[in-house]
Amino acid sequence: MATITRHNATNRQTIAHLLSDTRLYLRLIWTQIRSQGQYKTDMFVNIGTYFLTTSLEFTTVFLYFANFPSLLGWTVGEVALLYAVMSIGFGLSEMFGAGLDVFPDTIRLGEFDRVLLRPVSVLLQVASSDFRLRRLGRITQGIAALFIATAFLPAFHWTLLKVVILLISVVSGAILFLSVWLLGATMCFWTVEPTEIVNILTYGGRDMLTYPLNIYNQVMQRFFLFVVPLAFGTFVPVCYMLGKPLPLDLPNNLVFASPAIAIAFFLVARAIWQFGVRRYQSTGS
Amino acid sequence: MWRFYLEVARTAFRRQLIYRWANLAGLMTNLFFGAIFSYVIIGLFHARSAVNGYNVLDILRYTWLVQSMIMIVLTFGWFDLMLTIRTGMVISDMSKPCDFYWYWFSRECGRDLYFLIYRGIPTYVGGMLLFGLGAPGDWYYWPAFLLSLALGSCFGIAYRVLYNAIAFWFLEARGIGTMVVVVALFFTGSYVPIPLFPHWLLMIAQWLPFNALLNVPAEILLNNVSAGTIVFELARQLAWVIIITLLVRLVIKRAARRVIVQGG
Repeated sequence: MATITRHNATNRQTIAHLLSDTRLYLRLIWTQIRSQGQYKTDMFVNIGTYFLTTSLEFTTVFLYFANFPSLLGWTVGEVALLYAVMSIGFGLSEMFGAGLDVFPDTIRLGEFDRVLLRPVSVLLQVASSDFRLRRLGRITQGIAALFIATAFLPAFHWTLLKVVILLISVVSGAILFLSVWLLGATMCFWTVEPTEIVNILTYGGRDMLTYPLNIYNQVMQRFFLFVVPLAFGTFVPVCYMLGKPLPLDLPNNLVFASPAIAIAFFLVARAIWQFGVRRYQSTGS
Repeated sequence: MWRFYLEVARTAFRRQLIYRWANLAGLMTNLFFGAIFSYVIIGLFHARSAVNGYNVLDILRYTWLVQSMIMIVLTFGWFDLMLTIRTGMVISDMSKPCDFYWYWFSRECGRDLYFLIYRGIPTYVGGMLLFGLGAPGDWYYWPAFLLSLALGSCFGIAYRVLYNAIAFWFLEARGIGTMVVVVALFFTGSYVPIPLFPHWLLMIAQWLPFNALLNVPAEILLNNVSAGTIVFELARQLAWVIIITLLVRLVIKRAARRVIVQGG
């Protein structure tokens, strides 16, 4: 009996913590949005340029297909759909994980010491240390790309199931990319010098998953399915929506495991992060 | 005076040498991106054997050449000058007893040379090993290629300084800076190889200044420029270099009049 009440008490505590953390996070983000809103022209110019930049990326897909009818069985509309789904998920992770992106500077400037002293979750502080409204440019572009893609797919019709899959895909994709940003930030505990190697997983992963996974070498396929399972946020759901077979004879229903895989991967990334935080030594400059 | 600039270039070269691990990581990134593009190209060429007279091997070589030269000619995310403008450090560079532009030019020359040796060549060798590209071009194309690459680098430096100089007017110009680089990257064939562009876009691309960055040296090394047109291509490249250098010097002159030193 006693253990049960204690259990309940800790449960209640965790929930209370979670609520206050969420409130704090939203508040920190809100201050950032307000400060960026002070410079309205800058903000709109930044969102606009980001929108244009990503649109050019999307145009690339169409340019490739100007000369070729298909990419190993994938038509232009299908690849465009893949791009759109990836872009929205990636855009979300980029917007919420911006603080992780600038983490090398936080470490280098010794600001992380101050973060550690505050009685609030470290990860929360780091994640909310930066928030870029201009990333909205990518998300809006991703949504536009989604409509363009479906326009190129005459046989494709939205059903309730496909909408659900789309949501699963975007949420899992965002969590997976966010975990990769987190892993990248964690690397800074070991190498003070910000390394480009993380870019392979983030920007490299993004560019790679713009195209169907089955065009790549077996090692790369397995890596992005089983080691860093980014494909579960993009390729696997899109294959389900289009009724295409998965590589390596994997069952298509695997898509329903996407959220679980994403959360599991996030928990692993967070564990590594916490390990890094514990063994952090100040740069002392 | 040229000895001073040479020394600046040497220092910039040596400073890069310190970032050994960062360079190795960057090399891995270049190789990864090169591999992604290669697989996309190989996958596409399954449906057709040649486009505009280019077969899969030509396009692969082109892609890897671009990937090798990109860090030399058109550095992504180079905001060094912009940062000095924001912090006000630019004033110490401006008051140096030398020309402000040639100072940055020599600095970037040193850096470019570093990237040629430690990034460009290893990237291409990596591509050769991974995708069996073989060495490109006949030997007599090499001098023309090197000249063209040097011109491309000069254009790249001027371009870099130019978009960084926007910060003299708008302090936070990184968004614009990134877009300007992306547009340049697009028209240098680093997104889609220029030879794969549809005809009308190809015509536009060839007459844009960005053509002087990477496309000309790449095409020369791939023997796609006949001996007669090489001279024309190089002359056009040189013309662009002169135009942009004059432009950037004009912008800097204008900006220098606006700079106000704050505080003490």
